[in-house]
Amino acid sequence: MQKVLSDKKTILLLVLPGLLIYTFAILFPIILSIYLGMTDWSGIGKPNFIGLENFKKIIFSDTTFWKSLRNAIFLALAYVFVQHPIALIFAIMIDKIGGKPEKVFRTIFFIPCVIPVVVTSRMWVSLYDPQYGLINKILDFLHLGFLKQQWLGDMKTALISVIIICMWQGFGWALLIYYAGLKGIPEELYEAARIDGATGFKLYTKITVPLLKPVIKVNFTIAIIYALKQMETVYLTTNGGPGDASQFLANYLYIRAFNSYQYGYANAISVLFVIACLAVNIFFQKIFKSENYEF
Amino acid sequence: MSKQSSIAKRDKTILLILLGVFSIGQLFPLVWLVDFSLCKSGDVYGANILKIPSPPQYINYIVAWRDGKIPQYFINSVIVNFVSVFLVVLFSLMMGYAFVRMNWKWSNRVLTYVLLGLMIPIHATLLPNFVIFRQLNILDSYFALIIPYVAFSLPQAVFLMTGFIGSIPRALEESAIIDGCGIFRILFQIILPLSKPALVTVTVTTFLNTWNEFIMAATYLTSDRFRTLPFSVYNFAGQYASNYAVQFAVMTIVALPSLIVYIALNEQVTKGVTLGAVKG
Repeated sequence: MQKVLSDKKTILLLVLPGLLIYTFAILFPIILSIYLGMTDWSGIGKPNFIGLENFKKIIFSDTTFWKSLRNAIFLALAYVFVQHPIALIFAIMIDKIGGKPEKVFRTIFFIPCVIPVVVTSRMWVSLYDPQYGLINKILDFLHLGFLKQQWLGDMKTALISVIIICMWQGFGWALLIYYAGLKGIPEELYEAARIDGATGFKLYTKITVPLLKPVIKVNFTIAIIYALKQMETVYLTTNGGPGDASQFLANYLYIRAFNSYQYGYANAISVLFVIACLAVNIFFQKIFKSENYEF
Repeated sequence: MSKQSSIAKRDKTILLILLGVFSIGQLFPLVWLVDFSLCKSGDVYGANILKIPSPPQYINYIVAWRDGKIPQYFINSVIVNFVSVFLVVLFSLMMGYAFVRMNWKWSNRVLTYVLLGLMIPIHATLLPNFVIFRQLNILDSYFALIIPYVAFSLPQAVFLMTGFIGSIPRALEESAIIDGCGIFRILFQIILPLSKPALVTVTVTTFLNTWNEFIMAATYLTSDRFRTLPFSVYNFAGQYASNYAVQFAVMTIVALPSLIVYIALNEQVTKGVTLGAVKG
């Protein structure tokens, strides 16, 4: 028994294929990226080693880099303070309604999350279009025509317009996670509270929200990491523009590499990007460590 | 069940209306898209928010299907996804078993190393992988997508599989080993059938992620031959810039497969999302 389960050859056979492909496509590239980040490579020819020059330039004088980070923080705040409270309220409503509608609504709200981002992004470009877009038409319909905008093309509205797309698309995600959390709260606790005289709103502020704390924290962490990683929607709608009004890190490094052929510089941004993601992950895991998650 | 009985009929109606209105709002952009995909291209400029297509312009879908190269891209998507999903399922089952049940010194460390992948953004590997794939001459091939798709799906899949295999009672395997079964027979004849729920979850979540993936496909594929379904939409935005109805038709066609898979398997998707979120 022990012998069969400790056979080194079998273990190697089971683990190696997956481990190799994972190392080849994830770890090795990141190490290469650290090296390329210390060169002034353009993508062709020989890389020229310049040490930490790129990193210095990014941190001390690249305004777009900082703007991208700031935009990510805006997106994270929008997730946490706008999308999440609504998602939580709707999760509670879906959980309450029960029966067939519960399943139907749970399914409906998640639909935008499964539609390819290429489709949703192009769709929103149309929705925002100043000439024929739905958004301006609705404003006209509501006699709010003076609010009509060139949503994605205007410095003032580009970022908020992109953030709205992200919130729309990710709403089902946030909702589903809260919903799963609600399912984990035992019904007896509500019964007990009711016997003690708690009613309506008090039940939620005194029982649901406190017991949901671990889930809320997980959801917050996911939202912040998502905000940091934002790329596809931006790439397919504004490509960071106009100027750098709606730029995000991943898209920025992409532009630097493939549009301005600053491959080395882009890799340096990429390395800082990984560090930022790891730091956020580790930070949140540390401060939430004491909680145990149950689903 | 007590939850249902605890809310009054009137409250239930209010909830239904609220949820209904909001879900219509959430889905309205999609309805708008499908609506105008059936109209004449110029109709979208009218003042109407929605328009009854009369008669419905099915021709838009025919043009979209043909000029969007849907059949060709669809086959590419199927090949890339089936191979990726198959490998992810196979590898995560094998690795999951080795991590949970087999005894080796490095087990925990290697598992941690693989789960580290949950924290690494795919975008950080776009540039170096482009260089590596170019050097190996696999840019513009199925490999250029299958390799990173498998690699990036593995951490999540291994996470789900280790959790699931750990909950399977050992008794069956023990007696199988006493009967002289090897690891591979145990894995494929005992563990595999028992792990079906977890494997379905892994399959569906991996499928949805890779099927909808665009940025790696856009970076690693340079010619038309291997392009996947999202490119139908992307190409059209340029080529048919002013023919909105056909653009909307191609978008509707491309959205359909994921939508069908999701509606058919929505229990598994829900489970995959919520389980994955714990470690997200």
